[in-house]
Amino acid sequence: MTGRIKRVAGRLAACGIVACGAAAALYLYGMLPFWAYAAVTVLGFPAAVVALFLWWMADEGKEDIPFIGY
Amino acid sequence: MIAELVLAMLFGLLLLGIHRKVIARIQRRPGPPVWQEILHAAKFSFKTTWVPATASGALFAGIVLVAVGIWTAAFFVMMTGGSLLIIFGIYMLHKIVEHAFGLSSGSPYGKFGGVRSVISAASEIPLFVSVAVIGLFTGSLELTEITAWEAVHGPLFFTAFPAVVAMYLVLLSKMPFGPFSIVESKELVSGYKTEHFGAWRAGLEVCNGLKTTVLLATFLLVFAGQLPVLWMVIGMILLTVSLSFACAVTPMLSPFDSVTIQSLVTALMLVYAGIVFTGVLP
Repeated sequence: MTGRIKRVAGRLAACGIVACGAAAALYLYGMLPFWAYAAVTVLGFPAAVVALFLWWMADEGKEDIPFIGY
Repeated sequence: MIAELVLAMLFGLLLLGIHRKVIARIQRRPGPPVWQEILHAAKFSFKTTWVPATASGALFAGIVLVAVGIWTAAFFVMMTGGSLLIIFGIYMLHKIVEHAFGLSSGSPYGKFGGVRSVISAASEIPLFVSVAVIGLFTGSLELTEITAWEAVHGPLFFTAFPAVVAMYLVLLSKMPFGPFSIVESKELVSGYKTEHFGAWRAGLEVCNGLKTTVLLATFLLVFAGQLPVLWMVIGMILLTVSLSFACAVTPMLSPFDSVTIQSLVTALMLVYAGIVFTGVLP
């Protein structure tokens, strides 16, 4: 995982949170149908959660080869 | 709905913590605190993270998004009283997700877990028959219509008790440390999720929290009807404790025995569905 990926993860998390928040607000004010709100949340929530985790991780490691059998 | 989504995820993780605690107490161990699974998710979220060199990168990372996404969709369907078929279609999709988790890493432990998830698809067959029986009784598979039917005719818990037992078995097959949890058996380290660590595992924990809440709440909605929120929460906790008892006192079955028992339950449920079909429908 490189610093560049961490930056991308941060932007993705921000986009996901903004998308979910905006969809919720628009739905609340009747400007977005429920199905569109649900679709944005189903796509945005996982991206926001996983990207947020990737962004705030304390350390970045180098990839390795796991145990692949004897 | 997003606040509810986050609360459902945290509550699901809390239920999994209660599950571990009850199992430990039955086995005379102190066990972890009940909020351990929430801490677990938080801990994994700031662990060192990378994609293993042997993994298929896109699948390895993408499947975590799919796992959280499908249970987010299931949560929406449940909250809006949508179709039971969609929720259990998503339950089936989770099987494919487990398979992809296991096969994406390149580790033999993960692969065996992934392969076992396909074998354990036998647990879904009682589910189909249960859903069919519910449809026969209520004439609908929409959660709103099922609960409306129950408001008039009483809970399906009493009307269709064999379907309750079959669905309970389905729930049991999804609980960790259960007799049918062959996908994450200890001889496979952590099964399909062995190589998903750090942020990926934290994402998987989010998925598990949502999945637990959705499955237990759907079970109560279908068989007990629409309950007030407090009773729903109490019901889910009691259901978790009963599942924990079953998990604590039952050894994990071998994959062959697991499939055999689930197939036998399916056969019994088919007989029951036949009786209901001839008795309910003219």
